[in-house]
Amino acid sequence: CVAQFRNHGYVPSSEQLAQVVVGVDTKDTVADVIGAPGIEGIRDNSGWYYVRSQFRHYGAFEPKEVDRQVVAISFDSRGVVSNIERFGLEQGRVVVLERRVTDDNIKGVTFLEQLFGGLGNISAEQLLQ
Amino acid sequence: VTSVSYTAFPIPATAQSYSFSNVSVEGAQRVSTDTILSYAGIARGQSVSAAELNDAYQKVLGSGLFETVEFTPRGNTLVIKVVEFPVVSAISIEGNRKVSDDALMPALQTKVRRVYSPAMVEADAAALTEAYEVKGQLVATVTPKIIRRPENRVDVVFEVSEGKGVEVERLSFVGNRSYSDARLRRVLETKQAGLLRFIVGRDTYAEDRVEFDKRVLTDFYTSRGYVDFQVLNVAAEFSRERNAYFMTFNVREGQKYEFGKISVSSEIAEADGEEFLKVNKIREGQTYSPLAVDNTIERMETLATKKGIDFLRVEPRVTRNDRAQTLDIEFVLVRGPRVFVERIDIEGNATTLDRVVRQKFKTVEGDPFNPREIRDAAERIRALGFFSNADVNTRQGSAEDQMIVDVNVTEKPTGSFTFGGNYSVSEGANLIASFSEANFLGRGQKLSFNLTTDIEDGSLTFNFVEPAFLGRDVAFGISAGLGTSQPSYAEHITRRAYISPRLTFPVSENGALTVNYRGEIAEIVEDDDYIDAGYTYPVQIQNDIDAGRLTTHSLGYSYSYDTRRSGLNPNAGMLFTFGQDYAGLIGGDTDYIKTSAEITGEMKVWHEEVTLRATLEGGVIDADGDSRITDRYFNGPSIIRGFEPGGIGPRSDNNDLALGGNYYAVARLEANFPLGLPEEYGVSGGLFFDYGSVWGLDDDTGIIAGSDDLNWRSVVGASIFWTTPMGPLRFNFTHALDKEEYDKEQTFDLTISTSF
Amino acid sequence: CGEYAPRENLEGYPAKDIYERAEYEITQKDFDDAAFYFGEVERLYPYSDWAKRALIMQAFSYHRDRDYENARVSAQRFLDFYPADEDAAYAQYLLALSYYDQIDDVGRDQGLTFQALQALRVVIERYPNSEYARSAILKFDLAFDHLAAKEMEIGRYYLKHKHYVAAVNRFRVVVEQFQTTQHTPEALHRLVESYLSLGLTEEAQTAGAILGHNYQSTPWYQDSYKLLTGQGLEPKVFENNWLGAIYRQMIRGEWL
Repeated sequence: CVAQFRNHGYVPSSEQLAQVVVGVDTKDTVADVIGAPGIEGIRDNSGWYYVRSQFRHYGAFEPKEVDRQVVAISFDSRGVVSNIERFGLEQGRVVVLERRVTDDNIKGVTFLEQLFGGLGNISAEQLLQ
Repeated sequence: VTSVSYTAFPIPATAQSYSFSNVSVEGAQRVSTDTILSYAGIARGQSVSAAELNDAYQKVLGSGLFETVEFTPRGNTLVIKVVEFPVVSAISIEGNRKVSDDALMPALQTKVRRVYSPAMVEADAAALTEAYEVKGQLVATVTPKIIRRPENRVDVVFEVSEGKGVEVERLSFVGNRSYSDARLRRVLETKQAGLLRFIVGRDTYAEDRVEFDKRVLTDFYTSRGYVDFQVLNVAAEFSRERNAYFMTFNVREGQKYEFGKISVSSEIAEADGEEFLKVNKIREGQTYSPLAVDNTIERMETLATKKGIDFLRVEPRVTRNDRAQTLDIEFVLVRGPRVFVERIDIEGNATTLDRVVRQKFKTVEGDPFNPREIRDAAERIRALGFFSNADVNTRQGSAEDQMIVDVNVTEKPTGSFTFGGNYSVSEGANLIASFSEANFLGRGQKLSFNLTTDIEDGSLTFNFVEPAFLGRDVAFGISAGLGTSQPSYAEHITRRAYISPRLTFPVSENGALTVNYRGEIAEIVEDDDYIDAGYTYPVQIQNDIDAGRLTTHSLGYSYSYDTRRSGLNPNAGMLFTFGQDYAGLIGGDTDYIKTSAEITGEMKVWHEEVTLRATLEGGVIDADGDSRITDRYFNGPSIIRGFEPGGIGPRSDNNDLALGGNYYAVARLEANFPLGLPEEYGVSGGLFFDYGSVWGLDDDTGIIAGSDDLNWRSVVGASIFWTTPMGPLRFNFTHALDKEEYDKEQTFDLTISTSF
Repeated sequence: CGEYAPRENLEGYPAKDIYERAEYEITQKDFDDAAFYFGEVERLYPYSDWAKRALIMQAFSYHRDRDYENARVSAQRFLDFYPADEDAAYAQYLLALSYYDQIDDVGRDQGLTFQALQALRVVIERYPNSEYARSAILKFDLAFDHLAAKEMEIGRYYLKHKHYVAAVNRFRVVVEQFQTTQHTPEALHRLVESYLSLGLTEEAQTAGAILGHNYQSTPWYQDSYKLLTGQGLEPKVFENNWLGAIYRQMIRGEWL
């Protein structure tokens, strides 16, 4: 049984990251050099985050995130780069997700609708059985 | 009939402004005054300059409701005189035989109950002639007619006079040395008018089809090494008296080129050229074909994704050396533009859940944009079989380095439900009900029930498959059944109840493993009619009957390696499966190891026209003591064609009953090819040769001498494939070359042709 | 029933009779035939006063017959011919309704929800004080909620598969563009879950703060509070009874 690996997301290479200078670069120059961030914080001048993760798919097991690189660029109130951090999977926390869902009152198809929807269609297999 | 009359509204030289205390409208019956005012946009008493008045005039005219509009200021009242267009009361098309009304009606802009406008009716007439042109009927003319009706209404009639269809009488080629006219004709869309011309619609002459044919011809040649191929011109002479076209394609083939030196150079630090070169499968001297180049690019880009190098694009740089007639290809690895997938939006999925479609994407929102991966995902979505149409296209997102993937699907019925019953004096009433749904509740799950309740063959079966078990790339399936059955070759009745859950998951890129459990309670009972008629069972069957009800618990696995779809050579593929079932490992009355293996190779040859397929298949049951008749192998069309079910293999001397064998092995060679009939009929032919046998019995007392030995049977046959709306059918005609005298031949069979 | 054989040529009959016949069909709840007769009135007597009333009644009948496509065509024709009529508001409302009511049929398909929103917005903006504006606003919110629910559904899909970047972006769309819907508190909690999974505790606290500030009384705030203060449930080895997970996801079709 061979494990397969899939990569998701994008993190700038170290050479590109080296070109970003703390205290000098602003949001626009950062975007030109290493591209737009994967995600941003909610507040206005909150940080920019680039995330790249590798998943290991092995047999019937749930795909497992085996490697993650996060580059966090935070800005000061004037939008100038104040800090660049890099961290990995170990910083992440395993969170138990809440199962509750806000009801979306979207009515899906019911079993009976589907049952009678198919009334009368005949497929070759049934005929030649 | 009418043209827009010269505006009677004199525009005074000086910019004069008016103000009107009231406005009076004359001639408007249907459209109310305040509607006209709302279009004109002039309020009472408001001062209006000449230009504004002109604007108002244009707007009222622009509403398209009026034939003529006149603004005449009289003192401080503005008089708007209008003549309304009549309303269309009915539309009809007459004289159209070859093209039906429903095909033509949508092309019309004029609609019933809408306003009649001469310009629109002219446009509709042109649209109808164009509709005919597309069908190749060049000589159709369309003249619109108006019938005045009371209450200012009109009926619009489009009179069509269809000339006789203009057919392509003969289709010939000049300058083709390597491929015959007949071969090239089969490549083209436009077909020469053959015998069945009234049925075949595509033998008519149409402009855009010729363009398409030129491209098809070029693709055909370039993919066979003729890099400089050109269609010089297409001459079409129209013979007046035969009312048909003679078409001649004038082509220049040029030289046939082969691949020269293949090399890889990398402009990206983390991509090492040598490693990528290993992936290339093109050998020097192989006939040049753009497909092989594209294939290698795909293999290299897949390697790049696997190694986690983003935005890698492979650019092939070709250098020609005309003297040696070879092309050297240098694959250059370059950094492509940094583009990301911003969103994947799915629309049109009325019942199917979003996740059922979304999980077919390996790309996740936020990932680098990889066009090849998006195309593969579109293929996987279509392979679901839930949609009559599924197109995936991309457009720019919120920034120029962000792409949005739009998936637009239209669903089709995925279920069938048949319900019936019959009553016969001898057997009493029985019920037949079968329900199957391929997209149960829109979750992509498969669910099916089958119920038949007649005395001899009553049975209830159930099957359920969840292709994405717990959201993973794992398929969970469970099938169960309960009932009695008596195959055509058997004189005993088998009563059986079983349940079998299974799990299938990928173990490598092309490999998958299925593990399953099967719990079964089975018993073999006498058939009363057989006993009443005074017959007795052979000892083997009698032992199984005496054994009574036995339970079997078996654990099994089956490994399959399949390169047909994901393989890199689209013209060839291979399927290898190997499986074993261990009964008695975890209790139960029966104890055996059943092993089966199959290897099938398929290749498309001779310009992808002919499909060659070779299969080697075998199975063995190794039982502790005597194997049971229900576990042994019986011949059927899936093993060797040309014999009745159970027609070969060990047979009992008393009453000539099939006993089945502990071993079976078969080799099947097949060739499928078109019969030259136009594709619309969906008919193709095939030849096959089967060579195999069923043999081996633990207890061979009272059997026909030697019937349990390994005697090879061979059969040659021809088949006709016909794809009907109900499914692909296959008619087999066979002749046995060598067989045993006690075998039961069957020279004709109708089955469903499963493309392997 | 009735003295006309249905659907035969009504050329000779006066408009009033056909109109009454159509009204009769409505009382019989046979909206399909009613729509046909109203259509005939408009076709045969386009310039009569009956035509205008017949057109709006035709749109109404098609809508009641759930033939939304024709309902839209008739309503649009009314708006083209009589844009300033006092029934124009009702015509526009009928147009919007025939998109909106189709949402129930199309369940998952979001393409139509978008068109419903646009048609409802026209009713609200162009006829603000008509009696239909209020119910249009109500339906606008419900349709808006449908779109938000779709974003949440996709966000949860990515969250479950641990694709936190995709999940965050989807939940942020809900928080920024769909604040008025009932999904915002859940979206904020999902942001807390996603940011914490990535280790961006500061961002998670911001999301939690906004949730606490605006939606203190919701269960979502309780969940976020527990997560942020570290008393979140410890993940059991076997992810809380996988048999329950199989039942919920495979049989009931739930997401987790």
